[in-house]
Amino acid sequence: MSNLSLSTRMILVLTLITVLSGGILAGWDMYTKPKVAYHRLQALKAAIGHVLPDHGMYESQETETGTLYFGKTDSLAESPVGVAFMAIGSGFQGEVRIMVGLTPDLMKLTGIKVLEQIETPGLGTKIVVDPSNKQDPFWFPKQFEGIVVSPEIVVLKNAKPSANNEVQGITGATISSKAIARIINDKIKAVQKTLSSTEGRES
Amino acid sequence: MSKTVPLKTEFIKGLWKENPVIASLLGLCPTLAVTNAAMNGLAMGLATTFVLVMSSLMISALRKVIPHQVRIAGFIVIIATFVTVADRFLAAFFPEISATLGPYIPLIVVNCLILGRQEAFSSRNGIGRSLVDSFGMGLGFIFVLVALGSVREVLGSGSIFGITVMGDWFNPWMIMILPPGAFLTLGLMIALANWYNDWRATS
Amino acid sequence: MSYFLLFFSAAIVNNFVLSYFLGICPFVGVSKKVSSAVSMGMAVTFVMLITAVVTWLIYHLLLVPFEVEILEYVSFILVIASLVQLVEMFIRKVSKPLYDTLGIYLPLITTNCAILGLALFSVLRDYGFIESVVFGLGAGAGFTLALVIMAGIREELELAPVPKYFQGAGITMIVAGALALAFMGFAGMI
Repeated sequence: MSNLSLSTRMILVLTLITVLSGGILAGWDMYTKPKVAYHRLQALKAAIGHVLPDHGMYESQETETGTLYFGKTDSLAESPVGVAFMAIGSGFQGEVRIMVGLTPDLMKLTGIKVLEQIETPGLGTKIVVDPSNKQDPFWFPKQFEGIVVSPEIVVLKNAKPSANNEVQGITGATISSKAIARIINDKIKAVQKTLSSTEGRES
Repeated sequence: MSKTVPLKTEFIKGLWKENPVIASLLGLCPTLAVTNAAMNGLAMGLATTFVLVMSSLMISALRKVIPHQVRIAGFIVIIATFVTVADRFLAAFFPEISATLGPYIPLIVVNCLILGRQEAFSSRNGIGRSLVDSFGMGLGFIFVLVALGSVREVLGSGSIFGITVMGDWFNPWMIMILPPGAFLTLGLMIALANWYNDWRATS
Repeated sequence: MSYFLLFFSAAIVNNFVLSYFLGICPFVGVSKKVSSAVSMGMAVTFVMLITAVVTWLIYHLLLVPFEVEILEYVSFILVIASLVQLVEMFIRKVSKPLYDTLGIYLPLITTNCAILGLALFSVLRDYGFIESVVFGLGAGAGFTLALVIMAGIREELELAPVPKYFQGAGITMIVAGALALAFMGFAGMI
């Protein structure tokens, strides 16, 4: 060891450490990758199941606006019960990721589920769950079920919704509430555009 | 390093006298970021301790082999390897915690506490001593994280480790879960520690 | 997101130091004088810029095609450590006085969570190349801003009667808390 020059020792030792590191990580990668993928899949399935409650299985389709998940009652069914997709955008404090479900005619929402957000705790976080509402903590996301999406979803501040495309915003978290609607509206338009341009090519 | 320092002292010093956060202000990034709940603080503390102990083990074992000039590079690769192992471990077996702690787990790589310990201790002492030192420091770190997390969680969410402890009468102090609350609580904690050390010394 | 909004978000609304707790060590350690804060901020921004470029290239042109994303942390930190070493040598050659001012804090940029955090967020949010660069610039600007404001406040604090047990780290944290509170006012601007 000591009769090797310093440079050689440096390179040798660093190489040894890097090889060791690479070996440990490669092995660990092989072992954990399937588990991580499994969890991701479970989370995705749960989210799709939440927004498309009647589906038994889903088929995914890659499009220019991202992956679309067509829910079907079973694999032999002719037409889907709905289509689900991720809508991502800026909320009040940071990025919000929402799983959105639409009816097959793309006219109404079947449901939404906010998967990730970092909104203001106790205010903006009510878009996910509102513990202060004892009757129904999930009142905000539930509003979106059955809402008509055209011309667009509108969030009302301090007013009861009257039209079938209106939902009530969260008091004190107007920006978070409106952000949700904006993110969903934008994505729906993109999905509608993509699917209408592939119509006729669909079997 | 003095070989006559008893092992027990090496261990205990990390808990208070040379507590990495309170005495040396190391590892502040994760300390402030993940202590919005006691459980998160605990998880981060455990992950950091794992990386600290494993790196100390490896670096102490290789301390006579690694040339002085490339020691920092060598340390960093070893530390980063174990951080990757810990990060993947959480993603594969505890996905919810992994999602909550997010990018702060990989930031353990640049936690000055770990690099500092390797440079100051593990690269100059035997494996046994280094392990004792690392465990002590790690435990001290966990202690601060859990304490900070508990205070912020009780005042900010009315719960501790997820168990509600404050009744309905309590209106949570939202600020505690947000960044300002983290800074304020840590500042108060440090002041308290200073007062306590002073009181111990004069009584 | 438009590049301007991205920059503004990284610098102000989601300030790396005051919202994400990245770069706290130098924030507490270097911010005693405004002049050193400015120098540190610029050095960090410079390193961030190059880091954004190099780590993006490494991740998307090397790690992803070979499916070795597990090497993300190891490769990123090695890149950062080498870059800081190079920047240090560069500054020493180009401007000795600047090198002396920054002193010990230059090598410490390696362990600055803000730099690694920048690289990690870029990957997490799947930013494109230009987006990464803009993000890096914004993050650096925000870091410098927070550091300079902090230094300005601390220069004044030197003359103020701070309670005994709060002197040093204690009052710094409290001030940081007040700053973070102030910056929260920017939320929702974009």
